[in-house]
Amino acid sequence: MATTRSSLSTLANATFAALPRPLHPAAWWGWALSLAVVASVTTNPLLLLLIVAVLVLVVTSRRGDSPFARAFRYYLVLGGVIIAIRVVLHILVGLKTGTILLFSLPELELPSWAAGITLGGPVYLEGLLRAMVEGLRLATIIACIGAANALANPKRLLRAFPGALHDIGTALVVAVSVAPQLAESVVRVMRARTLRGDHRRGLRGLRHIAIPVLHDTLERSIQLAASMDARGYGRRDHATPAAERVTTALTLGGLVVAMLGLYGVFTTVGFSVLSWPLLAAGLLVTWAGLRRAGRLVRRTAYRPDPWAAPEWLTVVSGMVVVAAVLAVRRSTPDALTMPLEPLGWPALPPLAVLGLLVAAAPAVLTPPPRTARAVPRTREPQEVAA
Amino acid sequence: MTVTRPQSTTSAAPPRATPAVPPSSPSRPSRTRLVHLHLSARLSIALVSLVGLASFLWPLLVTPGSGLDDAATAPLILAALLPLFVVVVLAEIARGGFDVKAIAMLGVLSAVGAVLRPLGAGTAGLETVFFLIILAGRVYGPGFGFVLGSTTLLGSALLTGGVGPWLPFQMMAAAWVGLGAGLLPRLRGRAEIGMLVAYGIVAALAYGLLMNFSFWPFAVGLETQLSYEAGAPVVENLQRFVLFTLVTSLGWDIGRAVTNSLAILLVGPAVLSALRRIARRAAFDRAPTPADSA
Repeated sequence: MATTRSSLSTLANATFAALPRPLHPAAWWGWALSLAVVASVTTNPLLLLLIVAVLVLVVTSRRGDSPFARAFRYYLVLGGVIIAIRVVLHILVGLKTGTILLFSLPELELPSWAAGITLGGPVYLEGLLRAMVEGLRLATIIACIGAANALANPKRLLRAFPGALHDIGTALVVAVSVAPQLAESVVRVMRARTLRGDHRRGLRGLRHIAIPVLHDTLERSIQLAASMDARGYGRRDHATPAAERVTTALTLGGLVVAMLGLYGVFTTVGFSVLSWPLLAAGLLVTWAGLRRAGRLVRRTAYRPDPWAAPEWLTVVSGMVVVAAVLAVRRSTPDALTMPLEPLGWPALPPLAVLGLLVAAAPAVLTPPPRTARAVPRTREPQEVAA
Repeated sequence: MTVTRPQSTTSAAPPRATPAVPPSSPSRPSRTRLVHLHLSARLSIALVSLVGLASFLWPLLVTPGSGLDDAATAPLILAALLPLFVVVVLAEIARGGFDVKAIAMLGVLSAVGAVLRPLGAGTAGLETVFFLIILAGRVYGPGFGFVLGSTTLLGSALLTGGVGPWLPFQMMAAAWVGLGAGLLPRLRGRAEIGMLVAYGIVAALAYGLLMNFSFWPFAVGLETQLSYEAGAPVVENLQRFVLFTLVTSLGWDIGRAVTNSLAILLVGPAVLSALRRIARRAAFDRAPTPADSA
């Protein structure tokens, strides 16, 4: 009996679809940002819509049942709003080009203090399509970030923060955990008011709830500080002054170099070839400084999130689609754009489509998330013991 | 008026939390610095603020033919770079000046802000979080205000699933709002509330303008008469920007300024005294000495 069970579990492990568990949040972010990179290099509406389809597929099959997991649709709505804004602005103040006249609005020329803008005018199909495609590209990028939001648990992401940011990460975990308790505090204060026969409504009533809730919350923060103090939060080892100076020099020096690089990126003066490498080098040096600082923070993780085969699969599938689209850009760059002059039907490069199919793989090949309905919920590890 | 009450047994206050300044003499309250800003933290705030300002105002600065001369990708590149700089400055502040009380207070106040924020979202400019950042920055000092501004917006984004390319810009701008509130001159009583209301109006309008700058290339792209033109005279680009602001968001910005100042006017005094009371109780100013634990 036991042997069948263990062989079954090895089989399940082999197909990745083993026990339900949340994927490492960094894996989802890596995957989603890869898709965002793909969306940013193409204006081909077919590819953009395919990306959105991949996102919807993976999100609907692998998101958990937390509130942030349901936010994905708002990102899609926001994308629709962006497209609408682009179209309206194009009709009102766009620089209209094209040959196929759709309709014509009366023109209104604004005086010169208003930058001499002309409102309205003829609207051509090409210009309108360009505005829509540009909007669609931005909407797709927003949808990619929305997918990462829906798939990755933010509390677990905060645990993956580097050591130098441990304190800020702890404060954020406190914020995310305390927020729901505020509702309970409000209920308590309101009950006390009712018992006292205090029935003031409106702004004054609001004040009589808000201020006690604030006092309550602030009191709680001191209690929390004491219990965190007892558990060793907020302590760091002390570095020697010399080591401290090295860390400062690395952080600030890297920052200055990165700024020089950024300046070069903005302008064409002088060292524009060097600007990107300078920016990267500066950020690397700063990162080294932060690592030094982070080593002074000693911490342990309770039940650390594993980084196993499904995580690799997710990240690599994202990289594959980036590589595929970059390859298409090298061989047939026209396939990635919407043909507007002359107007035509967008191409469907097979390599890019294949890459996007690979990017959809996490929808089936990763372990499903734990949901309240599917599995009796095991106790989630407490983020802040307080 | 300070209410002194017996310390409850559940309070955090081990003996060392007895106020450093006796509550009976509040005539000359010392300024609280919950997050100490050492020299390198100040320098990195200055440097990163420069980077931040450039990432907001780049349409005015960019020259044609440079690496950022592309409306479609430039905002995204900046949205990817700015978080790195924000992370650097937060880590640098955390390196020298954080203790566990600051962490807990940051977490709790960010939670309050994160809960307040959705209350007004979607209603024309009803921004309900700024007054808290301003008041806390005022009481606990510029370093705390800076960090609180960014953690509040990040926390609220994490809670509601609102992380996006706009987030680093919001974090940077809100951090400035908190920092500025901490740097305001020393005043007490009505003068203080008047000053904070004025600051609230200025900060809300400036925040709105900055966020518009970051949104401008995103929203309109390159092919309209409201778009920025790389290399054009600054005045010309500013003219287009002002028009864009008038068309899209002035109502929201004014709404934000009104809510902000009303909130400070109505609950400001009570919130300030609550924050100061807790600062005295927890003795934020004093670093624990060995004598405390003995």
